Amino acid sequence: MKAIDKKRQADFQIIAHWVNEGDRVLDLGCGRGVLLEYLKQKKSIYGVGVDIDLDKILSCVKRGVPAYQGDIRAMLATFPENAFDRVIFSRTVEQLEDPDAVLAEGLRVGRRVAVGFVNKAFWLNRLNIFLKGRRTVNEVYPKPWYESLPANPFSVAEFEDYCDARRIVIENRVFLSGDWRSECSRFPNLMAGYAIYDLASID
Amino acid sequence: MNDSEQAPLISDEGEVGFVEYQDFVSKEPFQFVSGGSIPELTLRYETYGHLSAAKDNAILICHALSGDHHCAGVHGIEERKQGWWNFMVGPGKPIDTTRYFVICSNVLGGCQGSTGPGSINPATGRPYNLDFPKLTVQDMVKAQSLLIDSFGIDRLHAVIGGSMGGMQTLQWAIDFPQRVGRYIALACGARHTAQAIAFNDTGRQAIISDPEWKGGNYDPQEGPAQGLAVARMMAHITYLSDVGMESKFGRKRRSGDQSREHFEVEFEVESYLRYQGASFVTRFDANTYLYLTKALDRFDLHSPESLDVTLQAVTAPGLVVGFTSDWLYPPQGNREVVEALLRLGKDATYAELAMDFGHDSFLLRAPQLYELMHRFLSR
Repeated sequence: MKAIDKKRQADFQIIAHWVNEGDRVLDLGCGRGVLLEYLKQKKSIYGVGVDIDLDKILSCVKRGVPAYQGDIRAMLATFPENAFDRVIFSRTVEQLEDPDAVLAEGLRVGRRVAVGFVNKAFWLNRLNIFLKGRRTVNEVYPKPWYESLPANPFSVAEFEDYCDARRIVIENRVFLSGDWRSECSRFPNLMAGYAIYDLASID
Repeated sequence: MNDSEQAPLISDEGEVGFVEYQDFVSKEPFQFVSGGSIPELTLRYETYGHLSAAKDNAILICHALSGDHHCAGVHGIEERKQGWWNFMVGPGKPIDTTRYFVICSNVLGGCQGSTGPGSINPATGRPYNLDFPKLTVQDMVKAQSLLIDSFGIDRLHAVIGGSMGGMQTLQWAIDFPQRVGRYIALACGARHTAQAIAFNDTGRQAIISDPEWKGGNYDPQEGPAQGLAVARMMAHITYLSDVGMESKFGRKRRSGDQSREHFEVEFEVESYLRYQGASFVTRFDANTYLYLTKALDRFDLHSPESLDVTLQAVTAPGLVVGFTSDWLYPPQGNREVVEALLRLGKDATYAELAMDFGHDSFLLRAPQLYELMHRFLSR
């Protein structure tokens, strides 16, 4: 596996750890279906991917991963409560148009929700803005702003605030350091490059 | 139907070349779902490629309303037009005839060699006409299953179809889950919208109100040509899109001549549609048109209980493809089928192709459709 793929797949093992054998899993913003393929191999799940981009759906078809091309919010609305054991947002939330509403829908449709995101307040991101006045460009996000998708990045602290405000139960949380590999245990809002949350509704 | 030029997209593609149709005859009485029966039936079909010794490489292709069994190759050196899905079926094409044994049959109720309203009723020695039993998509599929039996094929590698063929494909997956390895349904849905029924009925009324229809008992050599042509012209509009028509015809005029009669053909689009209407009546039977459109209008996977209950029977992995500009069978109707399948925990994929040519987009060469079909069939 290439280093960049390793980094892109930073949350796979952690999410796989949270997923139970034979779970029904919905991966929102599934990309090329790599995570679902991984979970299928590791935990024999029934998985469905959702993506807006046909090219990504083509890759899912090649992998044998059931996939749905369309809008996440509209798709979620067609499912009853707890239709899935696990709903996954892996680097998806920052690109949603109405993250609050979609996360709420995710929590309705899934018994548990995994959210993986890049921590906006990671020290390097702060330093780049503070010293250079520029955002961080790395191997996962190599493109300048004008070639990137619109994104609404947030920090660990902001996400915690959100869960608190919406009374979302945080069952587990894992923070990774800047290399997105080794675990980071202290001062996550400053020291974590990547965060993965395991959420549940209050009831 | 698309008559456009079909140049090979990939250089190592071959052609199925010359093909001949065959007739499958069942001498057993055939019972229709809505009651009624016929003492025997014929299905005209074509095959391409070779059936493996294990008989596990067969693909059934289901055609659309005005299509037929001739989906690839040519019948003779004189024939300029290839089968209706020639670009999709052949050596090295997505439905690869070097790997698969492809079967395409003219539907029950059709008029291209299969038993339909225009066939002779052995009991009376005269055409069935309106004595032909009420036809449903389920009957079409049941008749096809007899043809598949005749090859000794237990399980099809895949069932594939677009439009009416897509509905048959879904019906196959529901009625014969153990016989379908996988399925691809293109530009279809779980049932007709009110708009689709409205267009069909207007077409039927054009036929029925033509005095030549004669209560369905017209002379096979004559018949309601005007009514059928108008029905076809109108239906053809629903197969296209505003953008597609605009780019193909715009306001182009037939010629610079302004001296013609006021209501003669003036615009290119008029000429095109009149040609479509006029050529349709030479190959299609008006009563078949009535029966098939009615079967489509009555097709409803939401009934008798709900879409989720109907689809519960499906076991095969499926691919459903909607087309953004299809306003006859809009994307949401295609999407709805996959949403129900996913609610039921089935293996189903929905893809939506951004193509400008309306409902008939599935009959056009598009690299994305190529990729989708190829990948899904070989996964």
